[in-house]
Amino acid sequence: MRRLGARRERGWAAAILGALALLAFLPLAVQRDDVLNFVFVTLLSITLAQSWNVVAGYAGQVNLGHAAFFGLGALTARTLWIGGTPLAPALAAGALVATAFALLIGVAAFRLRGAYFAIGTLALGEILRTTVSNVLPEISTLPTAAIATYRLSQRYYLALALAALSVVAVALLSASRLGLGMQALREDEEAAEAAGVGALRLKLTALALSTALAGLAGGLFAYYHISYYPSHAFSPSWTFDALLMTFIGGVGTLHGPVLGAVLYVFLKEYLALRWVDFHLLIFGALFVVIVLLLPGGLVQAAARARRLLAR
Amino acid sequence: MPLLEVERVSKDFGGVRAVHDVSFTLEEGELLGIMGPNGSGKTTLFNLIAGALVPDGGRIRLAGQDIAGLAPHRICARGVARTFQLVRPFAGLSALENVLVGRLYGRARGRAAGAVAEAERLLALVGLEDRAHEPAARLTFVDKKRLELARALATSPALLLLDEFLAGLNPAETASAMALVRRLVGEGITVLMVEHIVWALLDLSRRVLVLSAGEKIADGPPAAVAADPAVVDVYLGGAGGARARA
Repeated sequence: MRRLGARRERGWAAAILGALALLAFLPLAVQRDDVLNFVFVTLLSITLAQSWNVVAGYAGQVNLGHAAFFGLGALTARTLWIGGTPLAPALAAGALVATAFALLIGVAAFRLRGAYFAIGTLALGEILRTTVSNVLPEISTLPTAAIATYRLSQRYYLALALAALSVVAVALLSASRLGLGMQALREDEEAAEAAGVGALRLKLTALALSTALAGLAGGLFAYYHISYYPSHAFSPSWTFDALLMTFIGGVGTLHGPVLGAVLYVFLKEYLALRWVDFHLLIFGALFVVIVLLLPGGLVQAAARARRLLAR
Repeated sequence: MPLLEVERVSKDFGGVRAVHDVSFTLEEGELLGIMGPNGSGKTTLFNLIAGALVPDGGRIRLAGQDIAGLAPHRICARGVARTFQLVRPFAGLSALENVLVGRLYGRARGRAAGAVAEAERLLALVGLEDRAHEPAARLTFVDKKRLELARALATSPALLLLDEFLAGLNPAETASAMALVRRLVGEGITVLMVEHIVWALLDLSRRVLVLSAGEKIADGPPAAVAADPAVVDVYLGGAGGARARA
């Protein structure tokens, strides 16, 4: 289907995938673990931000319980993987559990609109986190045999593949009938319904795609870390990191969350080194400034600059 | 069989009777105008037909099939499209994308091939061919109204509900909008229009329905309705009108 804007989106998709392809050579060129870890975190963040972008940016449903689906993906994938299931099916199962739970919850949660949906999903995420920290209070550590064979590059390539997958998924979505319907929903649900868009079905589709990606990202997290508290994967910071990255970059665009994730991870590492916990305050302030002055994030800032220069 | 049959439909909002026991039918290819003072239930009636509201009582049939209580998108899929009194385009999408939504999700949803060409044709029909790539938010008020009409038409409706489509237009714009409505009726679309501009309504329609305080007080040819004492009272606030409203 020929659509306007689709050409520019394709350009961005090609540029981002090109950059990711170049990153495939990084482990060959650089053998430093700190560099690979840094890029790994960036790639994980791109997947997470892009997953949140689907439901919040395209369909306009601000999901503040996103960490729940990341956590479910992590929990399922890790349990199966340590239990002896091969990695790929374990990751797929993580995504499946996250999506199944999302659909179950979504039917009820989508009875809430706007701010109520946001608050409802926030509560849901917290309930799940508390439950997991009570049921599984012990730290989860890989068996010694798995630690002995641990290779960072494998984690790195999986992160790269998932980041590419998330970008391709959103690129396809943004150029499709489905994506157009979601955006109509985001702009005006009542008018979209009047034009034939079935709101609930489309919201559930957006949530399913979003949480499948979040579940995969969770599985990647579980595969990467040697030991962590299971409840950590349910921490609301996964939700708010995704939200900040998406808003900083440009919510509801293909490249915004990618740019946002890169900038966010970079700034976070840099600021955390300099000012330790003070960086949270800086991100809080940055978020307020962006929402008030630049609701379209970096993408909007760039468009404004272009228009200004073209005058 | 009439295209639309509204049978003894009522809707209350917490004790306020917004629409009470209203019945009328609409034949295929007809243009029926609905008039009435503010708060007489015109928009509520539209919302009941389009599915945005569920009636408390009564039946609404489209081509013989009951549609009352269906979700708006299902009613749209059966061939009812609407515009809104306060324009509601998808602000962040381009004009073309706005129309594409109607095309790809409305009654014509199966026909994805040629959707862009059809959307462009409809934009040209309403005079927006030059603004196709403009975000809807940047269109003028009048252009937003035109865009809403194109979006509604893109769903391929059998019945088109126009809610104060002429409100806020200047005389030249009113004339071209009226010509457009006539053309749509000429193409076989059945139109139900709520309008405050009484002369335009009387000019466009062969039949007019008048609501007052949620009840139908007149239904007939424009000349007869305009001469109806009950209608005159409601509009000019004579003694009879005061009694009717009390």
